[in-house]
Amino acid sequence: MTLVALGLALIVLAGLTAAALARRPAVGEMVFRILFGAGCTLGALPALAVLAGDTVPDVGLASATPFGPWVFGLDALSAVFLLAVLSVGAACAFYGLAYLAHERAHRAVGLAHLLLAVLVATLALVVVARAALPFLIAWEGMAVAAYLLVVFEHERREVRRAGGIYVVATHVGTLLLFALFAIWAGGGSDLSFAALAAHPPFSAGRGAMILVVALIAFGLKAGAVPFHFWLPEAHAAAPAHVSALMSGVVIKMGIYGLLRTIVLFGTPPPWWGWVLLALGAVSGILGVVWALAQHDLKRLLAFHSVENIGIILLGVGAGALGVTYGHPLIAVLGFAGAALHTLNHALFKSLLFLGAGSVIHATGTREIDRLGGLAPRMPWTAVTFLVGSAAIVGLPPLNGFVSEWVVYQSLLRGASAGGAVQLVGLAAVVLAFIGALALACFAKVVGVLYLGTPRHALATEPREATRAMIRPVVGLAAACVVVGLAPIAVVPAALRIGSLVAALPLQADVAAGPATAFTVGLALSLLVAWALYVAFGRGRQRRETVTWACGYPAVTPRMAYTASSFAAPLLGVFRSFSGVRTRRTPDAFSTHAIDPVLDSVLLPAWRGARAAAAWVRRVQRGGLSRYLLLVGAAVVASLLYLLVAGRNP
Amino acid sequence: MSGAGLIGVGILGAVAPALPGIVAKTKSVLTGRRGPPVLQLYADLGKLLRKGSVYSRTTTWVFRAGPVVVLVTLAVAALLLPLDGREAPARFTGDLVAFAGLLALGRFALVLAGLDTGSSFEGLGASREVTIASFAEPTLFLCFIALVLATGDLSLSGMLGTPLAAAWPRAGASLSLVGISLFVLLLAENSRVPVDDPATHLELTMIHEVIVLDHGGPDLALILYSSALKLALFGVLVVAVFVPRAGFGGPAALALLFAGLGVVAVAVGVVESIMARLRLARVPQLLVGAGTLALFATILQVG
Repeated sequence: MTLVALGLALIVLAGLTAAALARRPAVGEMVFRILFGAGCTLGALPALAVLAGDTVPDVGLASATPFGPWVFGLDALSAVFLLAVLSVGAACAFYGLAYLAHERAHRAVGLAHLLLAVLVATLALVVVARAALPFLIAWEGMAVAAYLLVVFEHERREVRRAGGIYVVATHVGTLLLFALFAIWAGGGSDLSFAALAAHPPFSAGRGAMILVVALIAFGLKAGAVPFHFWLPEAHAAAPAHVSALMSGVVIKMGIYGLLRTIVLFGTPPPWWGWVLLALGAVSGILGVVWALAQHDLKRLLAFHSVENIGIILLGVGAGALGVTYGHPLIAVLGFAGAALHTLNHALFKSLLFLGAGSVIHATGTREIDRLGGLAPRMPWTAVTFLVGSAAIVGLPPLNGFVSEWVVYQSLLRGASAGGAVQLVGLAAVVLAFIGALALACFAKVVGVLYLGTPRHALATEPREATRAMIRPVVGLAAACVVVGLAPIAVVPAALRIGSLVAALPLQADVAAGPATAFTVGLALSLLVAWALYVAFGRGRQRRETVTWACGYPAVTPRMAYTASSFAAPLLGVFRSFSGVRTRRTPDAFSTHAIDPVLDSVLLPAWRGARAAAAWVRRVQRGGLSRYLLLVGAAVVASLLYLLVAGRNP
Repeated sequence: MSGAGLIGVGILGAVAPALPGIVAKTKSVLTGRRGPPVLQLYADLGKLLRKGSVYSRTTTWVFRAGPVVVLVTLAVAALLLPLDGREAPARFTGDLVAFAGLLALGRFALVLAGLDTGSSFEGLGASREVTIASFAEPTLFLCFIALVLATGDLSLSGMLGTPLAAAWPRAGASLSLVGISLFVLLLAENSRVPVDDPATHLELTMIHEVIVLDHGGPDLALILYSSALKLALFGVLVVAVFVPRAGFGGPAALALLFAGLGVVAVAVGVVESIMARLRLARVPQLLVGAGTLALFATILQVG
């Protein structure tokens, strides 16, 4: 724990230096880089040790603290989230230095670096806090730091709107967390997690209330449908490295909260597991369908976070049901898959957002239909983005495949178990559906963005990002490949987390992950086949020409297939809830998508509430005579009521 | 890895190009034509491999990697299937997920190679391919789940091997439904009528053929061979469900498998002769229908 504390102190110090030396960015950023990197390394070491099987004693603050002792601890569950925070945090911070460099002249860039450092530090505090009050303080610090970073480009109207929606959503969540701990403690004054875990058995009603509040509060943070409405707004509005950190790590705090709730609560009732599983299925399918409908690169990636939260929730739900129905294998594998997918999603989603940042930086647009043919112009960005895409789709031999595999194992074992839990098997079909739709969506993104020809002439020819921006992205891509190639290195640790959350012993003989021989063998076969192919083609006749367009000679870039066209057949199937609005003119076809929850339910409700308030405000005109009239009317009304009530007691 | 299993995979790879030939021959006979010889594809592959390559200037390495990845994924997937009805060359718990993952990787590579040409035709084909696959993949998993329930085994070697033979007397009705569902999947995944018409003349109505419109020479040879291999793999799934061969010796089991593959190819030819291509919007309904069959198969075993 000392190392973690030291690491976090270094991270905050790095932020302070960057802000203090804003006038001399070269020195400030150099110091920031060194301190931030050292802090993340120091913090990650104990996390890795714990994941390898070590235990770290909890530490408490020595002085008296309100609401019970303030304890901090690091178990396997905290460790995997801490690892995600620090690794992705470092990549995003380093990327941010280069990404914001050209803004130095007209924005407080040093302050942004400080806020990012604070965000990473509070994220780390959230996962190591072992008492309600420090947890809430860290949670709120994280929310505020993230808000300030989201509104970094505050002169744009849609950024302010996104920030507003985000800050409302996150504070509703925080309020619910206050309620959660209050109901849980039931008037007790000790709010340390140890005390909360030692609760006497709850009555069915109170237990249900706790679980529902936890589900909504943490679901809001995680962005599960229907609580996802703030997510695409905020993630699209923030600078790329902030989006990466938010999508990769911040929303995972909701998952951490749910898993921690299960640890502290004990065996949940069956309905809760089914609700989690249903939320996972709905988030997964709707998330990817809405992503298919998007043509704004960052909004599209944000909706894929909703989808992946859905996959994680499928694992958590299966795990909860395994605990409830007494199937240790389903429980451990479910939670293990959820934890591992959390880490993997942090890696490839931040990779994709940073890659998107490089594209936006180079081209000045987020509309994928305006882009195309970037692969030869930005080779490194293209290759890393391709790796991230294949990983998020869950293709072997990359890391997404490994964690989806573990989730699949849990669901399939549910299918072959007896009793009610068998229905869990159907979630495997849902997962397959999500995977296939995600493949369609990323084929669209990679195909339209990087391949083919540019669809519109851009102001300047896009150029590859600077080395400082490529390096963190390559690091993340390497992590995706390593985890994907060597499941044997990560799956045991994931199982340890699963057995911790399920409070069930680990079965050593379970083949939980894909065989490492398979992943390595596949990678080797691909390499060998490529080498043979190249060798075969050497010295053969080879010509270059234009793309064959079935004899039509006058092909223009405007004829290239667009993202709208590519997604149209699938969206036609999901017409009723895709939120797509189509526009057809004689020579063009385009679609744009609204968010069904935000634009069709929440904002109209908000406007309705405001209109109602405005109507009520009409009585408040400030004239004395009117107020006297109202007072008189109120007195008469009360008298009448008393008369009526007196007659009929 | 077992030596006999590898020999089986080798033979499968060698005879796969005959399957499209059998399909074409069946169609020709049923429509009163003589048709190309059954072994035509071997001659085509030989011819294409001797040719040079023509690449569009728009394409990148992604275009050239496509056919290679497709072939490797299918070859590795073949190693997971128990061709002798007992044991695959490679097996591990949950390898059915690997099988689906390999097919998905191949599809991703093929679709991206198509999009790399920048042509609307390829874009159109790619879009249709991923649309159909989105409905085919859940159906495949429903079939797998029904097989897992029937055999209690989480690997393809078990699901399609010895335990399956033991499950037939108990769950015959359910397994027949799975077999039919897998046959529909075979038609969809291999771009056959009623999902796609490999003999169509209009690029606008194609799916698979139009994605590979720009591939030529050795690249096209790889694509054509991979298509034949994919047909063979799905044929193996269908035959494995309908004809459990655990009771036979290795050579007899293999012989039965290849006879079964021939029957499947003839069946595909018959379907192609008597049916028209469905409207594209109807294809998801066909696949959801096949999925419903597999769901019934699952429910039959739960009840």
